[in-house]
Amino acid sequence: MRYVIALPYRKLISNVFWFSAPKTFRVGEVCVSNIGWPKIMKFRALLSLCAAGSLSLLTACASTEPAQDMSDYDPIEPVNRVVHGVNGAVDFMVLYPAAMWYRDIAPEPVKTSVKSFVRNINEPLNSLNALLQGDPEQAAASFQRFIMNSTIGLLGFNDVATDFGIPYRREDFGQTLAHYGFSGGPYIVLPLIGPSNLRDTIGLGVDYAANPLTWGAENSDTAEALYLGSIGLSALHYRYATINQLNELQKSSIDYYAALRSLYRQQRNTQIRNGAPASISAVEDESASFDFDDAVEAASE
Amino acid sequence: MTNSKITLPAAAMIAIAATWSAPSFATPVSSDIVTEVAVETSAANVIQSMADEAITELTDQSLAEDVRRKKFVALMDRYFAMDVVSRFVLGRYWRSISKDEIDEFAVLLQNYLALNYANQFKEFNGEQFVVGNETQKNKDTFVNSQFVRPDGPPVNIVWRMRVFDDSYKVIDVSIEGLSMGITQRDEFTSVIQQNNDDVSALTSALKAKTGL
Repeated sequence: MRYVIALPYRKLISNVFWFSAPKTFRVGEVCVSNIGWPKIMKFRALLSLCAAGSLSLLTACASTEPAQDMSDYDPIEPVNRVVHGVNGAVDFMVLYPAAMWYRDIAPEPVKTSVKSFVRNINEPLNSLNALLQGDPEQAAASFQRFIMNSTIGLLGFNDVATDFGIPYRREDFGQTLAHYGFSGGPYIVLPLIGPSNLRDTIGLGVDYAANPLTWGAENSDTAEALYLGSIGLSALHYRYATINQLNELQKSSIDYYAALRSLYRQQRNTQIRNGAPASISAVEDESASFDFDDAVEAASE
Repeated sequence: MTNSKITLPAAAMIAIAATWSAPSFATPVSSDIVTEVAVETSAANVIQSMADEAITELTDQSLAEDVRRKKFVALMDRYFAMDVVSRFVLGRYWRSISKDEIDEFAVLLQNYLALNYANQFKEFNGEQFVVGNETQKNKDTFVNSQFVRPDGPPVNIVWRMRVFDDSYKVIDVSIEGLSMGITQRDEFTSVIQQNNDDVSALTSALKAKTGL
């Protein structure tokens, strides 16, 4: 299981390095090729060193525009619609009732604590990905948040860092790839997880492999319990957080699948540009076939 | 970074103060289209008056649902460029239907939007709508605004506006970076595509939803 997931990790890391800086590629490749796959832990430690070491090179070459996907690309739509349907059924039986129960029963302080906890558990990945995107300031902020909230925030259940003026920002490897110009590729509805695309699916795999908690889970039962618990709590929290909007969307939409697909694409675009307004060029080619200018022209005809 | 919690509202406050105290300075940055026509009020002022009207007219708890929806449609008629929006959400398919069919579709679309959004105003309680600054991007003016809730972080809403016949009309609304126009277009064109490029499949689905 471990090696299956780790394999694309290696390929991908070298791809990223190749894409942005040929010099870094060589550094990364030497690290990778000198280590046998069974020594996976050692490989990881070295990889993080390589990642940190090559950061200056990466940032120097990070001139490509972050990728923004302007239209839905869904070549495997029939398959996706089937998985979407199965996900909906599973959700209706398991996650939805749990989230409804949680919404109605759990007191507000509990919900706030759970939210802080699931955010905090993700903080090392936020930090790492910010670093990979050439944003050491944000990486430091996420790391600072992790230290503060894990200690005086009592294992992350209290978000004291936000009170100190360090806001949360989610960064994942899908966003890191997008930062270096990778577009989303084909839309994929993942079993149980839901809307994604090729780039973000690869990102999920890399984040899984890079997550310190999954390393720990191999060696320690406590870490494993913490990891599994965090997955359960994350699922509950994120389902609860979106329950009203998704209920509304499901009720109002004519094609729920297509609406979700569009919203996923737009939300990722927003996350990739870290909430900043879209650039003029992005506003211009938001649709290759038909935009607001065409609509204005059409209306005046 | 650490100051962003303070600077963001501060910037918003300054922007609002500027818009209120000196409306003449709030006119948009010059652009080919905008300078040609004399626009009476700034885009931000239009949004402010629309919000004021919406809050006085739609938030009345005792209003019957269908009355609220009718008022919502009337408000859209006044502030939205509906002929543009209805063509935009049809994507390239607007060409495959006649002018009468587009007009029929526009009415259906308005009622559909009223069905989905009008009842949101019923739960309006303690929230505040704050209009911020505006930015010019090519032909369009984007007005930033915030929906400030007593429980939870504020929601950022951006109004995309364009000048038609000397006045600003809304052509798109983005909530937290999600464009309603683009979402609706992607959904509607998917419905048409799924039904062998037949627009009437969409209109009949809208009729079923709105009961028209």
